[in-house]
Amino acid sequence: MALQNEDKLEVGYSSLQPKPKKWVLLMLRLLAFFATAAATVVMGLNKETKTLVVATVGTTPIKATLTAKFQHTPAFVFFVIANGLASIHNLVMIMGDLCGQKLDYKGLRLAMIAILDMMTVALISGGASAAAFMAELGKNGNSHARWNSICDKYKTFCDHGGGALIASFAGLILMLIISVMSIIKLLIKPKPDSTTVVP
Amino acid sequence: MIKPKRLLSLLLRFIAFGTTLAAVILMATSHEKGTFFAVSYEAKYTDTPAFKYFVIANAIVTVYGFLVLFLPPGSPIWRLVLALDLVFIMLLISSISAAMAIAQVGKNGNPRAAWLPVCGQITKFCNQVTGALVAGFIALITYIILLLYSIYNFLNPLFEKA
Repeated sequence: MALQNEDKLEVGYSSLQPKPKKWVLLMLRLLAFFATAAATVVMGLNKETKTLVVATVGTTPIKATLTAKFQHTPAFVFFVIANGLASIHNLVMIMGDLCGQKLDYKGLRLAMIAILDMMTVALISGGASAAAFMAELGKNGNSHARWNSICDKYKTFCDHGGGALIASFAGLILMLIISVMSIIKLLIKPKPDSTTVVP
Repeated sequence: MIKPKRLLSLLLRFIAFGTTLAAVILMATSHEKGTFFAVSYEAKYTDTPAFKYFVIANAIVTVYGFLVLFLPPGSPIWRLVLALDLVFIMLLISSISAAMAIAQVGKNGNPRAAWLPVCGQITKFCNQVTGALVAGFIALITYIILLLYSIYNFLNPLFEKA
Protein backbone atom coordinates (compact mmCIF):
# COMPACT_ATOMS: atom_id res chain seq x y z
CA MET A 1 0.00 0.00 0.00
CA ALA A 2 2.74 2.43 0.97
CA LEU A 3 4.82 1.45 -2.06
CA GLN A 4 1.90 2.20 -4.38
CA ASN A 5 1.52 5.61 -2.80
CA GLU A 6 5.19 6.36 -3.27
CA ASP A 7 5.04 5.32 -6.92
CA LYS A 8 2.04 7.59 -7.44
CA LEU A 9 3.92 10.41 -5.72
CA GLU A 10 6.95 9.97 -7.98
CA VAL A 11 4.85 9.90 -11.13
CA GLY A 12 3.02 12.97 -9.91
CA TYR A 13 6.26 14.89 -9.38
CA SER A 14 7.79 13.96 -12.70
CA SER A 15 4.64 14.93 -14.60
CA LEU A 16 4.51 18.28 -12.82
CA GLN A 17 8.10 18.97 -14.05
CA PRO A 18 7.82 22.64 -12.99
CA LYS A 19 8.21 24.54 -16.24
CA PRO A 20 6.68 27.83 -15.03
CA LYS A 21 8.75 27.55 -11.84
CA LYS A 22 11.96 27.32 -13.83
CA TRP A 23 11.24 30.61 -15.61
CA VAL A 24 10.24 32.28 -12.36
CA LEU A 25 13.57 31.35 -10.79
CA LEU A 26 15.46 32.54 -13.87
CA MET A 27 13.60 35.86 -13.86
CA LEU A 28 14.31 36.35 -10.17
CA ARG A 29 17.99 35.61 -10.73
CA LEU A 30 18.10 38.12 -13.57
CA LEU A 31 16.50 40.79 -11.40
CA ALA A 32 18.86 40.04 -8.52
CA PHE A 33 21.81 40.23 -10.92
CA PHE A 34 20.70 43.63 -12.14
CA ALA A 35 20.13 44.90 -8.60
CA THR A 36 23.51 43.81 -7.25
CA ALA A 37 25.33 44.91 -10.41
CA ALA A 38 23.67 48.33 -10.16
CA ALA A 39 24.70 48.60 -6.52
CA THR A 40 28.29 47.68 -7.38
CA VAL A 41 28.55 50.11 -10.27
CA VAL A 42 26.87 53.05 -8.54
CA MET A 43 28.99 52.71 -5.41
CA GLY A 44 32.12 51.90 -7.40
CA LEU A 45 31.87 55.10 -9.40
CA ASN A 46 30.90 57.15 -6.36
CA LYS A 47 33.17 60.15 -6.26
CA GLU A 48 32.71 63.81 -5.48
CA THR A 49 35.21 66.62 -5.71
CA LYS A 50 34.92 69.94 -3.99
CA THR A 51 37.22 72.92 -4.25
CA LEU A 52 37.46 75.30 -1.37
CA VAL A 53 39.24 78.55 -1.15
CA VAL A 54 41.68 78.19 1.72
CA ALA A 55 43.49 81.52 1.69
CA THR A 56 44.01 84.54 -0.49
CA VAL A 57 47.55 85.61 -1.33
CA GLY A 58 47.40 89.04 -2.86
CA THR A 59 44.71 88.66 -5.47
CA THR A 60 45.05 84.94 -6.30
CA PRO A 61 42.98 82.65 -4.12
CA ILE A 62 44.57 79.34 -3.10
CA LYS A 63 42.20 76.51 -3.72
CA ALA A 64 42.26 73.14 -2.03
CA THR A 65 40.62 70.21 -3.73
CA LEU A 66 38.98 67.64 -1.53
CA THR A 67 37.56 64.40 -2.89
CA ALA A 68 35.21 61.92 -1.35
CA LYS A 69 35.72 58.46 -2.79
CA PHE A 70 34.28 55.15 -1.75
CA GLN A 71 37.77 53.73 -1.20
CA HIS A 72 38.27 55.95 1.82
CA THR A 73 35.91 53.79 3.89
CA PRO A 74 36.60 50.05 4.34
CA ALA A 75 32.87 49.44 4.83
CA PHE A 76 32.11 50.73 1.35
CA VAL A 77 34.99 48.74 -0.13
CA PHE A 78 33.50 45.59 1.44
CA PHE A 79 30.09 46.64 0.08
CA VAL A 80 31.42 46.92 -3.48
CA ILE A 81 33.30 43.62 -3.26
CA ALA A 82 30.32 41.76 -1.75
CA ASN A 83 27.88 43.02 -4.35
CA GLY A 84 30.38 42.33 -7.13
CA LEU A 85 30.78 38.73 -5.99
CA ALA A 86 27.01 38.38 -5.70
CA SER A 87 26.44 39.58 -9.28
CA ILE A 88 29.14 37.21 -10.55
CA HIS A 89 27.43 34.37 -8.65
CA ASN A 90 24.07 35.24 -10.16
CA LEU A 91 25.59 35.47 -13.64
CA VAL A 92 27.23 32.04 -13.28
CA MET A 93 23.95 30.56 -12.01
CA ILE A 94 22.02 32.03 -14.95
CA MET A 95 24.57 30.64 -17.40
CA GLY A 96 24.44 27.28 -15.67
CA ASP A 97 20.66 27.27 -15.88
CA LEU A 98 20.55 28.20 -19.55
CA CYS A 99 23.54 26.40 -21.02
CA GLY A 100 24.74 23.71 -18.67
CA GLN A 101 21.68 21.71 -17.71
CA LYS A 102 23.61 18.43 -17.92
CA LEU A 103 26.50 19.52 -15.70
CA ASP A 104 26.41 17.51 -12.55
CA TYR A 105 28.79 16.22 -9.90
CA LYS A 106 27.73 12.95 -8.28
CA GLY A 107 24.14 14.16 -8.21
CA LEU A 108 24.99 17.08 -5.92
CA ARG A 109 24.11 19.87 -8.37
CA LEU A 110 21.02 21.06 -6.52
CA ALA A 111 22.77 20.86 -3.15
CA MET A 112 25.70 22.93 -4.43
CA ILE A 113 23.37 25.55 -5.90
CA ALA A 114 21.44 25.81 -2.64
CA ILE A 115 24.58 26.13 -0.50
CA LEU A 116 26.15 28.72 -2.81
CA ASP A 117 22.92 30.71 -2.75
CA MET A 118 22.95 30.71 1.04
CA MET A 119 26.55 31.89 1.08
CA THR A 120 25.71 34.74 -1.29
CA VAL A 121 22.78 35.81 0.86
CA ALA A 122 25.10 35.93 3.87
CA LEU A 123 27.69 37.94 1.91
CA ILE A 124 25.23 40.52 0.63
CA SER A 125 23.62 40.95 4.04
CA GLY A 126 27.00 41.62 5.62
CA GLY A 127 28.05 44.15 3.00
CA ALA A 128 24.71 45.96 2.91
CA SER A 129 24.44 46.26 6.67
CA ALA A 130 27.99 47.55 7.15
CA ALA A 131 27.49 50.17 4.43
CA ALA A 132 24.08 51.13 5.84
CA PHE A 133 25.42 51.87 9.31
CA MET A 134 28.43 53.69 7.90
CA ALA A 135 26.10 55.81 5.77
CA GLU A 136 23.98 56.57 8.84
CA LEU A 137 27.14 57.69 10.62
CA GLY A 138 28.07 59.91 7.70
CA LYS A 139 24.61 61.42 7.58
CA ASN A 140 24.03 62.09 11.27
CA GLY A 141 27.53 62.17 12.68
CA ASN A 142 28.15 61.12 16.25
CA SER A 143 28.13 63.82 18.90
CA HIS A 144 29.66 61.55 21.55
CA ALA A 145 32.77 60.89 19.51
CA ARG A 146 32.79 64.41 18.07
CA TRP A 147 32.47 63.17 14.50
CA ASN A 148 30.77 65.65 12.23
CA SER A 149 28.37 64.62 9.54
CA ILE A 150 29.73 64.87 6.03
CA CYS A 151 26.53 64.66 4.03
CA ASP A 152 25.86 68.37 4.05
CA LYS A 153 29.19 68.98 2.35
CA TYR A 154 29.15 66.06 -0.08
CA LYS A 155 25.53 65.84 -1.03
CA THR A 156 25.94 63.95 -4.34
CA PHE A 157 28.22 61.38 -2.73
CA CYS A 158 25.61 60.67 -0.08
CA ASP A 159 22.77 60.53 -2.59
CA HIS A 160 24.56 58.05 -4.83
CA GLY A 161 25.56 55.97 -1.84
CA GLY A 162 21.95 55.87 -0.68
CA GLY A 163 20.82 54.74 -4.12
CA ALA A 164 23.40 51.96 -4.17
CA LEU A 165 22.25 50.86 -0.71
CA ILE A 166 18.61 50.66 -1.82
CA ALA A 167 19.61 48.59 -4.87
CA SER A 168 21.64 46.29 -2.65
CA PHE A 169 18.78 45.76 -0.21
CA ALA A 170 16.43 44.99 -3.10
CA GLY A 171 19.02 42.48 -4.34
CA LEU A 172 19.22 41.01 -0.83
CA ILE A 173 15.46 40.41 -0.65
CA LEU A 174 15.44 38.88 -4.15
CA MET A 175 18.44 36.72 -3.25
CA LEU A 176 16.65 35.52 -0.12
CA ILE A 177 13.60 34.45 -2.15
CA ILE A 178 15.90 32.72 -4.67
CA SER A 179 17.72 30.91 -1.87
CA VAL A 180 14.44 29.70 -0.37
CA MET A 181 13.31 28.46 -3.78
CA SER A 182 16.60 26.62 -4.35
CA ILE A 183 16.32 24.94 -0.95
CA ILE A 184 12.73 23.92 -1.71
CA LYS A 185 13.86 22.51 -5.05
CA LEU A 186 16.54 20.57 -3.22
CA LEU A 187 14.30 19.13 -0.53
CA ILE A 188 11.27 18.39 -2.67
CA LYS A 189 13.11 15.74 -4.71
CA PRO A 190 11.42 12.41 -4.16
CA LYS A 191 13.69 10.38 -1.92
CA PRO A 192 13.55 6.59 -1.73
CA ASP A 193 14.37 6.62 1.96
CA SER A 194 12.58 7.96 5.01
CA THR A 195 12.91 11.62 5.81
CA THR A 196 13.50 11.70 9.54
CA VAL A 197 15.83 14.49 10.51
CA VAL A 198 18.56 13.62 12.97
CA PRO A 199 18.98 16.62 15.29
CA MET B 1 21.98 6.62 26.61
CA ILE B 2 22.56 9.72 24.49
CA LYS B 3 23.78 9.00 20.96
CA PRO B 4 27.12 10.66 20.08
CA LYS B 5 25.49 12.53 17.15
CA ARG B 6 22.93 14.05 19.47
CA LEU B 7 25.64 14.85 22.01
CA LEU B 8 27.75 16.64 19.40
CA SER B 9 24.79 18.67 18.17
CA LEU B 10 23.80 19.55 21.74
CA LEU B 11 27.35 20.61 22.55
CA LEU B 12 27.57 22.84 19.48
CA ARG B 13 24.23 24.46 20.26
CA PHE B 14 25.31 25.07 23.84
CA ILE B 15 28.52 26.72 22.65
CA ALA B 16 26.53 28.90 20.25
CA PHE B 17 24.10 29.91 23.01
CA GLY B 18 26.95 30.64 25.38
CA THR B 19 28.89 32.81 22.97
CA THR B 20 25.89 34.90 21.92
CA LEU B 21 25.08 35.41 25.60
CA ALA B 22 28.67 36.45 26.22
CA ALA B 23 28.55 38.89 23.30
CA VAL B 24 25.36 40.49 24.64
CA ILE B 25 26.70 40.80 28.18
CA LEU B 26 30.11 42.14 27.11
CA MET B 27 28.62 44.77 24.83
CA ALA B 28 25.85 45.80 27.19
CA THR B 29 28.09 46.29 30.22
CA SER B 30 30.73 48.27 28.36
CA HIS B 31 30.83 51.85 29.51
CA GLU B 32 33.56 54.11 30.60
CA LYS B 33 33.68 57.50 32.20
CA GLY B 34 36.62 59.77 32.50
CA THR B 35 38.13 63.18 32.09
CA PHE B 36 40.54 64.20 29.43
CA PHE B 37 42.09 67.63 29.91
CA ALA B 38 39.13 68.86 31.98
CA VAL B 39 36.71 67.54 29.38
CA SER B 40 34.58 64.79 30.84
CA TYR B 41 33.44 62.09 28.48
CA GLU B 42 31.36 59.02 28.78
CA ALA B 43 31.23 56.13 26.36
CA LYS B 44 28.33 53.70 26.33
CA TYR B 45 27.18 51.16 23.83
CA THR B 46 24.00 53.19 23.22
CA ASP B 47 26.05 55.97 21.62
CA THR B 48 26.03 54.17 18.29
CA PRO B 49 23.01 52.57 16.64
CA ALA B 50 25.32 49.87 15.27
CA PHE B 51 26.18 48.62 18.78
CA LYS B 52 22.53 48.78 19.81
CA TYR B 53 21.64 46.67 16.77
CA PHE B 54 24.41 44.24 17.72
CA VAL B 55 23.02 43.82 21.23
CA ILE B 56 19.43 43.39 20.03
CA ALA B 57 20.34 40.90 17.29
CA ASN B 58 22.49 38.78 19.59
CA ALA B 59 19.81 38.88 22.30
CA ILE B 60 17.24 37.50 19.84
CA VAL B 61 19.62 34.73 18.79
CA THR B 62 20.38 33.93 22.46
CA VAL B 63 16.70 33.40 23.22
CA TYR B 64 16.34 31.25 20.10
CA GLY B 65 19.39 29.18 21.04
CA PHE B 66 18.06 28.67 24.54
CA LEU B 67 14.70 27.44 23.25
CA VAL B 68 16.26 25.05 20.72
CA LEU B 69 18.37 23.42 23.45
CA PHE B 70 15.22 21.88 24.88
CA LEU B 71 13.82 20.50 21.64
CA PRO B 72 13.42 16.71 21.82
CA PRO B 73 15.09 14.72 19.03
CA GLY B 74 12.89 13.27 16.30
CA SER B 75 10.35 16.06 16.55
CA PRO B 76 9.20 17.49 13.19
CA ILE B 77 10.06 21.02 14.34
CA TRP B 78 13.71 20.32 13.42
CA ARG B 79 12.94 21.25 9.81
CA LEU B 80 11.79 24.67 11.01
CA VAL B 81 14.99 24.87 13.05
CA LEU B 82 16.95 24.29 9.84
CA ALA B 83 15.21 27.24 8.17
CA LEU B 84 15.46 29.48 11.22
CA ASP B 85 19.17 28.71 11.50
CA LEU B 86 19.69 30.30 8.09
CA VAL B 87 17.64 33.36 9.01
CA PHE B 88 19.50 33.88 12.26
CA ILE B 89 22.88 33.41 10.60
CA MET B 90 21.93 36.25 8.28
CA LEU B 91 20.96 38.37 11.29
CA LEU B 92 24.22 37.60 13.08
CA ILE B 93 26.33 38.39 10.03
CA SER B 94 24.55 41.68 9.50
CA SER B 95 24.93 42.75 13.14
CA ILE B 96 28.61 41.81 13.36
CA SER B 97 29.37 43.50 10.07
CA ALA B 98 27.72 46.74 11.16
CA ALA B 99 29.38 46.78 14.60
CA MET B 100 32.76 46.03 13.08
CA ALA B 101 32.42 48.86 10.54
CA ILE B 102 31.76 51.42 13.29
CA ALA B 103 34.40 49.93 15.60
CA GLN B 104 36.98 50.18 12.82
CA VAL B 105 36.24 53.88 12.41
CA GLY B 106 36.50 54.34 16.17
CA LYS B 107 39.87 52.63 16.28
CA ASN B 108 41.52 54.10 13.20
CA GLY B 109 39.49 57.21 12.57
CA ASN B 110 38.91 58.59 9.11
CA PRO B 111 41.30 61.47 8.45
CA ARG B 112 39.60 62.55 5.25
CA ALA B 113 36.31 63.13 7.04
CA ALA B 114 38.10 64.78 9.99
CA TRP B 115 37.01 61.95 12.28
CA LEU B 116 39.59 61.37 14.99
CA PRO B 117 40.10 57.90 16.48
CA VAL B 118 38.64 57.73 19.96
CA CYS B 119 40.07 54.44 21.18
CA GLY B 120 43.09 56.11 22.67
CA GLN B 121 41.01 57.82 25.34
CA ILE B 122 38.56 55.02 26.10
CA THR B 123 40.76 51.92 26.01
CA LYS B 124 38.66 49.87 28.44
CA PHE B 125 35.52 50.48 26.38
CA CYS B 126 37.30 49.59 23.16
CA ASN B 127 38.74 46.39 24.61
CA GLN B 128 35.37 45.24 25.86
CA VAL B 129 33.72 45.98 22.54
CA THR B 130 36.48 44.00 20.80
CA GLY B 131 35.76 41.10 23.15
CA ALA B 132 32.06 41.26 22.35
CA LEU B 133 32.82 41.24 18.61
CA VAL B 134 35.11 38.22 18.99
CA ALA B 135 32.39 36.36 20.91
CA GLY B 136 29.87 37.25 18.21
CA PHE B 137 32.24 35.95 15.55
CA ILE B 138 32.69 32.62 17.32
CA ALA B 139 28.91 32.34 17.66
CA LEU B 140 28.52 32.98 13.93
CA ILE B 141 31.05 30.28 13.01
CA THR B 142 29.36 27.82 15.37
CA TYR B 143 25.96 28.49 13.81
CA ILE B 144 27.39 27.99 10.32
CA ILE B 145 28.87 24.65 11.40
CA LEU B 146 25.48 23.70 12.88
CA LEU B 147 23.66 24.63 9.67
CA LEU B 148 26.02 22.62 7.49
CA TYR B 149 25.74 19.70 9.92
CA SER B 150 21.93 19.82 9.80
CA ILE B 151 21.92 19.98 6.01
CA TYR B 152 24.35 17.05 5.84
CA ASN B 153 22.19 14.98 8.17
CA PHE B 154 19.08 15.83 6.21
CA LEU B 155 20.68 14.99 2.88
CA ASN B 156 22.33 11.79 4.13
CA PRO B 157 20.13 9.54 1.96
CA LEU B 158 21.11 11.64 -1.06
CA PHE B 159 24.81 11.34 -0.30
CA GLU B 160 24.62 7.60 0.18
CA LYS B 161 23.04 7.28 -3.25
CA ALA B 162 26.12 8.84 -4.90
